[in-house]
Amino acid sequence: MDIQSYIASGKLELFVLGELSEREREEVLQLSQQYPEIKRELKEIEEAMFAFDNELGVKPSDTVKDKIFDTLSQELDTPKITEKKMTAAPTKEIALQPWKSFAVAASIVALMAIGVAAYYAVRFYDVENKFTSLLEERNVLSQELEINKARFEETGDQLQTLLSKNYERVPMSGASFELQKDALVDVFWDKASKEVYVSVNNLSNLDADKDYQLWAIGDDGPVGIGIVKPGEKLKLQQMEAAVSAGAFAITIEPKGGSEAPTLENLVVIGEVA
Amino acid sequence: MQEEQLITGLRARDRQTVDYLYEKYSKALFAVISRVIKDRDIAEEVFHDAFVKIIRKIDSYDESKGRLYTWMANVCRNAAIDKTRSKEFSKSQKTNTIDNYVYGLEGSSNTLDLVDGIGVKELMGSLNEEQRFVVECIYFKGYTHSEISEEYEIPLGTVKSRIRAAINMLKKNINRI
Repeated sequence: MDIQSYIASGKLELFVLGELSEREREEVLQLSQQYPEIKRELKEIEEAMFAFDNELGVKPSDTVKDKIFDTLSQELDTPKITEKKMTAAPTKEIALQPWKSFAVAASIVALMAIGVAAYYAVRFYDVENKFTSLLEERNVLSQELEINKARFEETGDQLQTLLSKNYERVPMSGASFELQKDALVDVFWDKASKEVYVSVNNLSNLDADKDYQLWAIGDDGPVGIGIVKPGEKLKLQQMEAAVSAGAFAITIEPKGGSEAPTLENLVVIGEVA
Repeated sequence: MQEEQLITGLRARDRQTVDYLYEKYSKALFAVISRVIKDRDIAEEVFHDAFVKIIRKIDSYDESKGRLYTWMANVCRNAAIDKTRSKEFSKSQKTNTIDNYVYGLEGSSNTLDLVDGIGVKELMGSLNEEQRFVVECIYFKGYTHSEISEEYEIPLGTVKSRIRAAINMLKKNINRI
């Protein structure tokens, strides 16, 4: 028996294509049992045929599958009638078993649910607290932002004021008086518009019943042109208009200022250049 | 799933196994039927009956007589051939060529699902003219080898060896697609 020429004859292919007579089929099967090579060749051809059919194929419509399973619905999953009936368990147990396992399952689920609920409750309070503190922080920040905005605008305005006009800077110092040696206050004065600003460099705070008062000293003697706040350092404080002045001075006066300066309380003075 | 497992499940009439079988083999088995019957509606009807028959007759399948797929393909092919011999079936269907198979059946009212035309075309491209001819006759026109021999006056032995050569080429190239 020449196996190779049998394999080469094309009979195995025809076997797989289903084109052999019953007698020839038997022959192929018998030989494949007998000769491993034939068996292997046959297996390879069968696999290739399946792969080719699968490559070539078009899927049948989905409705076909549904119809097939409808047709078979009575026949599938039905347990074999033989042995099953014999080993039928008492019905009581059968009725009880599903309930029992259901109860066990339900209580396990309930326990798990309690655990999960507790976990999320803790998480919730945690997150809520964080959220509240974040809100507060946010309020603080927005307030600060408002304040800074206002400051920024003010500073901008003051800068514009200083730059837009012809201001003269008159530095006033307390070096020549005993009261506050290190007091330093600048006056900015625009002769054309008569506007006056002061900027405090260094000035001690006063008791609540006292105020610093600015005086413009001109031909008609000193004229009170406003109260200077010592706390607002390096900020422009607008004063009243000064028509004419050879010098500016600050004295300590009773709260609200006086008509005429108390000269022994002179803090700083500065002459207009 | 291994073939043994599959057969055991089928013999137990297990629904899941039948579902698996359908998913894995329906495309190829439907191709076997479509080879013989071009009309999609009729082919699907035949496929329905053949698949149901396979499930019902699984006990008559004998593993020692070839693989499961070969047996199933035979059931399908025989069902299709029986259909073509029935009275209501006209034989005028044997006119398809590879192109209108691959690109969908022209003039058919059914829209085919996408055939992997490129894979098939590549496979066919790996064959020489003689091999392609027999594959076309068998796979796209539903001829048997003896019909090819008669129709085209080629000696039976020659047809057989060409079929073998063609399938050999397919075997080599199928894994590359």
